Amino acid sequence: MESVYSQYAWVVPIFPMLAFLVLTALGRQMKEVGVWISIVCTFASFIYALLIFIERVGSNVEDYTKGMDWIRFGGVHLSVGFEVTNLNALMLVIVTFVSLLVNIYSRGYMKGDERITVFFAYVSLFTFSMLGLVISSNMLELYIFWELVGVCSFLLVGFWYQKPAAKAAAKKAFIVTRIGDVGLFIAILLLYVYMPEHALDFASIHNVFTQPDALAAAGIGAGVTTLIGILIFVGAIGKSGQFPLHTWLPDAMEGPTPISALIHAATMVAAGVYLVARTFDVFHASPDAMQVVAYVGGFTAIFAATIGIAQNDIKRILAYSTVSQLGYMMMAIGVGSVTAGMFHLFTHAFFKALLFLGAGSVIHMIHQQDIHQMGGLGKKMKVTAWTFGIGALALSGIPPFSGFWSKDAVLAAAWEGHKGLFVVGIIAAFFTAFYMSRLFFLVFTGKPVTAAKDVHESPPTMTIPLVILAVLAVVSGFVYTPFNSWFGTWLEGTETVEHANYAVMAISTIVGLLGIGLGWLIYRKHAISSEAIAGKLPWLTKLLANKYYIDELYHAIIVTPLRAIGGALAAFDQWVIDGIVRGVASLTLLTGRASTRMQNGQVQTYGLITLLGCVLLIVAIVGRRLW
Amino acid sequence: MANIPILTLITLSPLLGILILLFTPANKNRLIKTIGIATTFIPFILVIWMFLAYDYSEKGVAFEENLRWIHMPLNTEAYQGQVSSYFIQFNYHLAMDGISLLLVLLTAIVGVMAAFASVHIKKRWKTYFILFLLLEVGMFGVFMARDLFLFFLFFEVTLVATYFLIGIWGYVGREKAANKFLIYNGLGSALMLIAFTLLIATAGFQVDQSVAGQTHLSYSGDLATILQNLIQPSESSVVLSAGMQKTIFILLLVAFGIKLPIFPFHTWMLKVHNEAPPAVVMIHSGVLLKMGAYGLIRFGLFLFPQQTESWATVLAILGVINIIYGAVLALVQKEFKLVLAYSSISHMGVVLLGLSALNEIGLKGAMFQMISHGLISALFFLLVGSLYERTHTTRLDELGGLARSMPFMSGILLIAGLASLGLPGLSGFVGEFLSFLGLFSEMKVIAVVGTLGIILGAVYVLRGVLGITYGPMEDRYIGIRDARLIEAIPMMALTAFIVLLGVYPTIIIDPLQHSFEQFLQLIKVGG
Repeated sequence: MESVYSQYAWVVPIFPMLAFLVLTALGRQMKEVGVWISIVCTFASFIYALLIFIERVGSNVEDYTKGMDWIRFGGVHLSVGFEVTNLNALMLVIVTFVSLLVNIYSRGYMKGDERITVFFAYVSLFTFSMLGLVISSNMLELYIFWELVGVCSFLLVGFWYQKPAAKAAAKKAFIVTRIGDVGLFIAILLLYVYMPEHALDFASIHNVFTQPDALAAAGIGAGVTTLIGILIFVGAIGKSGQFPLHTWLPDAMEGPTPISALIHAATMVAAGVYLVARTFDVFHASPDAMQVVAYVGGFTAIFAATIGIAQNDIKRILAYSTVSQLGYMMMAIGVGSVTAGMFHLFTHAFFKALLFLGAGSVIHMIHQQDIHQMGGLGKKMKVTAWTFGIGALALSGIPPFSGFWSKDAVLAAAWEGHKGLFVVGIIAAFFTAFYMSRLFFLVFTGKPVTAAKDVHESPPTMTIPLVILAVLAVVSGFVYTPFNSWFGTWLEGTETVEHANYAVMAISTIVGLLGIGLGWLIYRKHAISSEAIAGKLPWLTKLLANKYYIDELYHAIIVTPLRAIGGALAAFDQWVIDGIVRGVASLTLLTGRASTRMQNGQVQTYGLITLLGCVLLIVAIVGRRLW
Repeated sequence: MANIPILTLITLSPLLGILILLFTPANKNRLIKTIGIATTFIPFILVIWMFLAYDYSEKGVAFEENLRWIHMPLNTEAYQGQVSSYFIQFNYHLAMDGISLLLVLLTAIVGVMAAFASVHIKKRWKTYFILFLLLEVGMFGVFMARDLFLFFLFFEVTLVATYFLIGIWGYVGREKAANKFLIYNGLGSALMLIAFTLLIATAGFQVDQSVAGQTHLSYSGDLATILQNLIQPSESSVVLSAGMQKTIFILLLVAFGIKLPIFPFHTWMLKVHNEAPPAVVMIHSGVLLKMGAYGLIRFGLFLFPQQTESWATVLAILGVINIIYGAVLALVQKEFKLVLAYSSISHMGVVLLGLSALNEIGLKGAMFQMISHGLISALFFLLVGSLYERTHTTRLDELGGLARSMPFMSGILLIAGLASLGLPGLSGFVGEFLSFLGLFSEMKVIAVVGTLGIILGAVYVLRGVLGITYGPMEDRYIGIRDARLIEAIPMMALTAFIVLLGVYPTIIIDPLQHSFEQFLQLIKVGG
C-alpha cells in the first residue's frame, strides 16, 4: 500500500522544534502564551504521529525511507534522513502522546515559576530530539539525536540550577551516560569501517547481519559482530540506566517531576531499549551479545527492585522501579523477544508516567518527598490516589491491568530456554509488588503525618492527564494477550504463535498478590513491624538503603584516583615540564652573563681567552689527526 | 573579480585602519574603538565575498598573485661565463586554496569579534588598535603566503604584535607571560628559519635552460618551486638525502609543534591564556595556534609526504597524549582560563589525530576541528572578557550561580561548553567525529584510547561551566548586569557560526574538495 502520511513524517519533530525556537526568541515574557505554543505544537505532532500510526495499522504498508547527504566528500557519504517502520511509528505515538500529557500537566505543576517559558522550551527541544531519534534512518543520525536528548535531560535535571543537588545530578546524568555514549560511538566507527560501502543505515545493517553470506563477504567475523553488539549495548546501558551505569537515573529525580515522567520514565530512558530493538539483527547474529543483554537486563531488574524496597523518597522508589522495569525489557530482547520488550516499553510508558505524575501531584501539594512524612492523602486527593493505585497495580503485574500482560510476555519469553532468568524475573516481580504496595499504603492510607495544611486535589490541568493515563494503564495491555496477538504480528511482520502459558500467568499473578499482601500486612495492618524486620537484618537494610554502596565504590575507584592523577600531572606539568623550560631559559641567561664578563675591556682577559681558544683549537686539530 | 588583487586587498586592508588611526588624537577613546572595529569589517566583507565567489569544482588554487619581490644577484665568476645569471629570488606570492580560504575566513571572523571584545581595553587605545590591526595583517599573510621568506616575515609580524599586546595590556603577570611567549616562539621561529634556509638552499635551487644558450641558476623561496623539486625532481634539481629530509621534517615538526602546541612544548601558552587580555587570547587561541597546524600541513605534510607517513604513528600517539594530558589537567584547574588553555591542548590533539590518519576523512576532520576550535575558543574568551569586567575574577572557587544575574551570558557559556565537549548539532562534534573516524580506519587502538578524551571533555567542561553558572550565587554578585548590546552581538554571531557549522558542515568541507588530492596521491604512490 502506498504510504501517504509517512512521506512527510519529518514534520512530526518539526512542530516541537518550532515551539523551541519561538519560545527561545520570546524569552521570559508572555508566559501563558509560551506554554500554549508548546502545548499546541506538541498536539499537532501527536495528531500527525497518530495519522502515520493509523496508516500503518492497515496491512502491508511498506517501510518508507528518505535521506539526503549531510557530509559528503570523495567516497564518504554520511546522510541524514528518516524512516518509518511499524516499530518507530509506535514510538512516535508514545513519545508525542506522553509529551502532550506532560505538557498539559506541567502547565499546572510549573505555574508561578519565573522560568516557565525556559522550561517549556527545553521540553519542546527534548520532544524534538526524541522524535528525531525515533525516526532516524541511520546510526550516525541516531547518535546525534541520542546526544541531544541527553543534553535536554541534563538541562531539565538541572532546571533548578541554584540547588547544589540539582547541579550535581545534572552533571552526573550527563557524564555517566556519556561513558555509555562512547561505546556507541566506537560501535559506529566499527560499523563504518566494516560495513559494505560504509553504510550506516538500518536497512543495510539489517541486510548484512541477517545474511551470513553478506557478513562473510564484508569480513565481519563472529568476534567483530559480538564486539559491535556489545558496544551498542554499552550505549543502551548508559541511556537506559542499566547496571553498572544506573547510578545517574535515581539522582536525576532532582529535576521537576513532569520531567521525571517524560524523560526518565516513559521516553528517553527507553531509548536504549529501542536502540537494541532497532539493531536487533546485530544481536541476533551474535549469541554472546544476546547473553550479555539478557543477563545484564535480568540482573538490573532484580538488583534495582531490591534497592527500591529500602528507599524513602517517593521519586527515588519510582526511579529504581524504572531501572528495574527497563531491565525487564532488556532481558526480553536478550532472550530473543523484541515484541515482549517493546510491548513492556509501550505499557510501561503509560503506567510509569502515570505514577510519576501522581507522585508529582502529591509533591506539588505537600512539598515533601519522604513517604514517611505523608500518609492519609487518599481521602483528600481522591483522583490522585485512585489513578496512582491503578498505576501501582499495573506495575505490580496484577490482571487485567496492562503491566500484567506485558510482564507476562517478558516472563513467558524467558521461560523458553532461560529458566534462571525466569526465576530472577519472578523474584523481581515480587519485590516490585511489595515496594509499590509499601509506597501506596504509606502515602495514601493511614493517619496524616504531613505538616502541610489545606491539602486538596490538584487542578484539572494536572488530574486530567492522570485520568487519561490511568485509562491507558488499564486497557493498553489488551493489544497483545494470549488471546489477541495483534501487536506482535504487526510489530514483527510475521505471524507470532503465542500460545498462552497459563503456568507463567498464574505464578506471576500469585507472586504479585503475595507482594501486595505482604506490603498490606506491614504497612497497612501493621501486623508485622517493619522495624522488627530491619532490626533482625541490620546489615541488609543498610546495604539496600545505601544502594549497595555503588556510588561510594565509583567514587573510590574512579573519581578519587582521577583527581589524584590530575593533581600529580599538574605538579609534573608545573615543576618538570615547565621546570625544564625555565632551566633552559636561566641557563641561556647565565651563558649570556658569562659571555658579558669576557667583554670586560681588560686586555689581559682577552689574551687569556685567546690563548685558551688556541689551545683548544690545536688540541682539536691534533686530536682529529690522531684518530 | 579576476582583475582585482583581492588577496592583497584582504591582507593589507587593516593597514587602512592603521593609517587613519595614526592621524586620530590618542584621547578620542570612542572614535578609536569605532575605527578599530569598523576596519576589521573590511577584510571580513572581502573574505565573505571571496568565499561566495570561490569555485570549489575548480582544481587547486582559485586566486593567486605572484610578483617578483627580492632579486639578489650572486657572484657568477666561479662559473666563468657558463651561466648567464645566478641569483636568489623571493616572490611576493599569495595564493588561495581551500585550506587557506577556511583559515582566512576564521581569521576574519575572529578578527571582528575580538575587535568588539576590545571595548574592555582600558588604556592606550590608539597603540592597541594599531598593533591589533597589524596582527591581523600578519595572520592573513601567513595563511596566504606561498613564498618561504614572505611566510616567515608575516609569521614574525604576528609574534611582535602579539608580544606587545600581551605585555602592555595583559593582567598582572603580563610582562613575564609576554617574555616567555617571545622566547619560546622565537626559538620555534629559529628552528623554522633553519629548516627554511635548508629548503631554499637545496630544493629551492633551480637550473633554467629554457632559452637556448642561456643558463639561469637561482635559489628560490617559492613554495611551488620547492614542492615541484621535492616531489617531482627533474634532472637538474638537488636531491635531498633521506637524512636531510628527516632533519628538515623534524625541525618543522618542532617549530610548528611549539605553536600548535604539542606536548611537552605547551607551557608557554598557559601563561598567555592566563595573562593576556581576553580579546588577544581570542585571537591567540582562536587563530594563532592554528598557524602551527597550518604550517605543519603546508610545509611538513605537503613537502614531505613520505616522512609524514613514517611518522604517522608517532603523530597519532602525540595526539592522544595531547588529548588526555590536556583533559586531565583541565580537570583539576582552579582558574577557568587555565581550564580553557588545557582544553585547547586537548582539542589540538584531535587535530593531530586527524592529520596522522593520512586519509581524506581524517585530514578534513582535522581542518574542521581547527576552524571549529577557533570559533569556540574565541567565544569562550569573549565571555571570559565580559565576565571579568563584572566579577574581577575568573577563578572557579570564587564564582557560582551567575545564571541568576546574567542568564544570557550563562546560556551562551553553556552553548560554548556544549560545543567544546562535542555535542552534535554544534561544530565541535563534526571535527571530532571525522578525526576519530579517519584515524580509526588506520589505527584502531590509538583511536579508541583517544575516545577517553570524549568522556573527560564532558567532565572538565561541565565542571568549569556549571561551576560558574549553576549553584547558589554569592550576594556580592547580585548587582551585576547581563551582557550589553555591544557584547551580545559578537556572542550571538559566534554562536550562530558554531550552530551553522554543526548543522551544515558541508559549507566548509566543500572548499577543501581538492586540497588534499595531491598529497593523498603521493601517499598512495609511496605506500
